[in-house]
Amino acid sequence: MRAFEVFRAQNRSQALALLGEHAPHAAVLAGGTDLLVEVKHGMRAPRVLVDITPVGELGVIELTAQGLSIGALATHSAIMRSALVREHCPALVEAAHTIGAVQTRNLGTLGGNLVTAVPSLDSGPAPLALDAFASIAAPDGMREVAIADFFLAPRRTVLRTGELLCALVIPSASLGKPTAFLKFGLRKGQALALVNVAASLRIAHGVMCEARIGLGAVAPTLIRALDAERILDAQPPSEALFAEAGRIAADEARPITDFRASAAYRRELIRVLTQRALALALARAGGKR
Amino acid sequence: MSEITLVVNGEQRALSVAAETTLLELLRAQCNLTGAKLGCDVGDCGACTVIVDGEAVNACLMLAVQADGRNVVTIEGLAGRARLHPLQEAFEACGSLQCGFCGPGMILSAKALLDAAPDPSAAEIRDALAGNLCRCTGYTKLIEAVQAAGETIRAAATGPRRAAGQE
Repeated sequence: MRAFEVFRAQNRSQALALLGEHAPHAAVLAGGTDLLVEVKHGMRAPRVLVDITPVGELGVIELTAQGLSIGALATHSAIMRSALVREHCPALVEAAHTIGAVQTRNLGTLGGNLVTAVPSLDSGPAPLALDAFASIAAPDGMREVAIADFFLAPRRTVLRTGELLCALVIPSASLGKPTAFLKFGLRKGQALALVNVAASLRIAHGVMCEARIGLGAVAPTLIRALDAERILDAQPPSEALFAEAGRIAADEARPITDFRASAAYRRELIRVLTQRALALALARAGGKR
Repeated sequence: MSEITLVVNGEQRALSVAAETTLLELLRAQCNLTGAKLGCDVGDCGACTVIVDGEAVNACLMLAVQADGRNVVTIEGLAGRARLHPLQEAFEACGSLQCGFCGPGMILSAKALLDAAPDPSAAEIRDALAGNLCRCTGYTKLIEAVQAAGETIRAAATGPRRAAGQE
């Protein structure tokens, strides 16, 4: 591997100081399952890696006044094991389980997955459907960014040089909201998503409200299918309406053709998976299909 | 160079490592433990799987400095003086290895699974081994071996207690 220096941060302020000191040649090292691969492949050549894995506070999963805070360093395995995540946001557990394989999930972190900002990232759709926000440490203090605004372009996020993603927060209002995550890959294990989707909704007085549809691998960044969400609002749930939402979501998306699948095939997946995810979210809301 | 100390197969070691040295390179070149294999070197094949603090990880994707203060188990740490580990015995008995290149990683992934869940379903075994690619034996015999080893381990765990109760 190409030579670099490693500094092991012991706490958050030290991590920020190191990132500031070595900007713009520093990269944050967490699980390493993406960063080290990119360094080995020559896609990135940071001169300094700031290893944040010793910073225990960044891996904490806890309920706060704001909601469920999942530290950026929480591994996908830790999320799967977490009783808090399981109770309040089980769709995040489902999504974590589809990432890589056991070895990747034991090293790879939620924050690391989010900052890759690849369109297919599996950690993204459920937080989108739950109105989550990112808690970011900047040299001059903390800032919060809605996850819907976090991704700017493929492999680009709102994080500025010297900033550190600290946690993903699922707001209190979204805890326990019926949600479903579905992913379609070419295999069950270690497959990138051809399409992934998370849908959430609530039922009040027999009609749907707060419907959210988060989609991955269907556009340059993760997207919400806003038009599809809109037709569900204040309507009684029905298979026909979910089918229509699936068709609209497929129209809203801008999938590409690559060696994994054609755009047309992805559109068909969006249609079917969106419909299924909505039906599953409804079932979890206690409604009938 | 950084100085690190870690426990490898129960033995405390103090080593000097370069920043870009992976745990896999450390184990193979500096500890002379060549059981963990260099396959893809990017976390896809699982041939380098070792157990760090109880969890299966790809040693090619962990820097050696990140293993400072941690407990590492490699395939060389499984067999006792008198006999092989039940997983190793089961892999032999079931004919689960042909070329054997995936074996150390496969067995360590299986060990991490059985340590956490001694009686896994076939689906759980498949999930646990999904990050270990085998290109010649095929997976059926691997799954059979993990099930057989689980039985042996469970019998050993309950056997002596029952015997003691009968005395």
